[in-house]
Amino acid sequence: MSAAIEVRGLRKNYRAGLGGREVKALAGIELAVQPGELFGLLGPNGAGKTTTVKILLGLTHATAGSASLLGKPVADPESRRRVGYLPEGHRFPGYLTARQTLSIFGRMSGVSSRALAPRIADLLGRLKLSEWIDVKVKKFSKGMTQRLGLAAALVHEPEVLLLDEPTDGVDPVGRREIRDLLKAEAAKGRAILLNSHLLSEIELTCDRVAVLRNGCVAAMGTIDELTKREEKSSSKGYRLMAAPLTEELLAEFHEKGASPERVNGHVRLLARDAEHLNALIDAARARGALLTELTPEKSTLEDVFVDLVKASPDVEPPR
Amino acid sequence: MRALAANIEEVFREAAARWTLVAYFALSSLFILIFAVAVNLDVVNGALAGAKIFGQNVHMGRQSVDLDKLVLGFESGFAGFLYVVGTFLAIFATAHLVPRLMEKGTVDLYLSRPVGRVPLLLSRYAGGMLLSASNVIYLLGAMWLLVIWKTHLVHPRFFFAAGIILFGIAALMAFAFLIGTLTSSTAVSIMATFAVFFLSAILSNHDRIAAALSAQWAATLVQGLYWIFPKTAQLGAAVVALVMGDEGPRRMRDALTLQPFVTTGLFGAVCLALACLRFRRKDF
Repeated sequence: MSAAIEVRGLRKNYRAGLGGREVKALAGIELAVQPGELFGLLGPNGAGKTTTVKILLGLTHATAGSASLLGKPVADPESRRRVGYLPEGHRFPGYLTARQTLSIFGRMSGVSSRALAPRIADLLGRLKLSEWIDVKVKKFSKGMTQRLGLAAALVHEPEVLLLDEPTDGVDPVGRREIRDLLKAEAAKGRAILLNSHLLSEIELTCDRVAVLRNGCVAAMGTIDELTKREEKSSSKGYRLMAAPLTEELLAEFHEKGASPERVNGHVRLLARDAEHLNALIDAARARGALLTELTPEKSTLEDVFVDLVKASPDVEPPR
Repeated sequence: MRALAANIEEVFREAAARWTLVAYFALSSLFILIFAVAVNLDVVNGALAGAKIFGQNVHMGRQSVDLDKLVLGFESGFAGFLYVVGTFLAIFATAHLVPRLMEKGTVDLYLSRPVGRVPLLLSRYAGGMLLSASNVIYLLGAMWLLVIWKTHLVHPRFFFAAGIILFGIAALMAFAFLIGTLTSSTAVSIMATFAVFFLSAILSNHDRIAAALSAQWAATLVQGLYWIFPKTAQLGAAVVALVMGDEGPRRMRDALTLQPFVTTGLFGAVCLALACLRFRRKDF
């Protein structure tokens, strides 16, 4: 199966002002997104996420390398025929109604007015904007504008979706609805590239993730692969609840190299492997402690992200 | 084609939303209405025997006035007036088309559609020209029909003057588009275009200006600018000359030559080509 989005050795250099120094925004990005896949693009500010998306859409020209959408090079406007895009901080003309906005942008993607009419009504219904169909966009709240942007990205039934912060300004219920909608669109075989700072959103939504740092792919894989990679690098943490948790028991854990730590009524232990963990449990049981809970601590995407960013001190942390 | 039509429709919707279209049509309609109601002519045997303006008799003496000459005089004066006012209004109403397109958060929405950058820019140019043409043709056409109704004299050249007016607007709008792609500023686009309009009018006296200059390089510069810039004054004179036809003085008839059209057309074409080139290569 050929990739819906493919980027090979993508480089982009900017010149900072007239005759200014050259800034490397991208330094050889490689990635591919398959049809039906929800792919998250992560990275701190200035890592190259937006530049990558802009090159994919022909908004910015690459210095070197290649990028293609559905097999067509991005320099060809036809590559965008089946692509929907939601830019961050988009501004639809305020004098248009929701219906007019979707009609104009739908026709700009080559869809006939006849085909658009039912599609617009359906989309606005799915995005809970039916009652606002003939209201001018300037009256919309930020969350509603965001939903309209999503509708505009979907109005021509694209095979590829490039979404920049799609849940920005949307309330928690709306976020869940958008997540569900994206999952439903991916289930239809659409490739979705999600560009976001919101790690929890990415973790809840995406199948695979690439973390960009200084214009390079610093890590790429499924959420499980990335968080497991994180776990391999150190001892695994466990949350232990037992009674009584005496100081003597903690001292013994310490002697056994578990680096115990009292946290909100439970103890956090570090175990090298299953044998080490069992030895710690035996020690607790031998001291008469009754175990009520033992939970492995899972690394989160945020842990992976923070570790990667820490490795590069000259970039801003995520928000 | 569908995409380009949608883009042109958006230009008109924007003009309507900004009230430029409505205001222009309202002002034009008011002018037409005043002319229709206020001017009453008494035509006897093809000559003007009497006239009333706002119900007041106009003193004409004992002699009758040649109606054809009077109407031609009015039509040529009105066409010349519309050439200046129509051009100014057209630039004022369309100079924002490129800067607004290039605004952050807006340009992404347009460029992410399967439309090339050059067709996108040209469709906005076409939208701007259609907007200007609708305004000019509405006012000129309505006045033409009113003159026919009031005097029974038909001078198609008066209506065809719209062609020269729109030709001048096309060249200046291309320049406004170029400035728009370079600066992303509506205000700068308007100011620079108006500056070119006036400077070109001054440069129509290039020979006299060059002769008055002591430095050779300055004289060469004036002559060079004259040939580069659009010939706004000559086009205005050409509008009047076209309407007057053989009735105008010989000096006026000489204004209707090919040179101003060729050089102005070249200026517009080069500006539009440079605007397309700049827009095509720009990183957003």
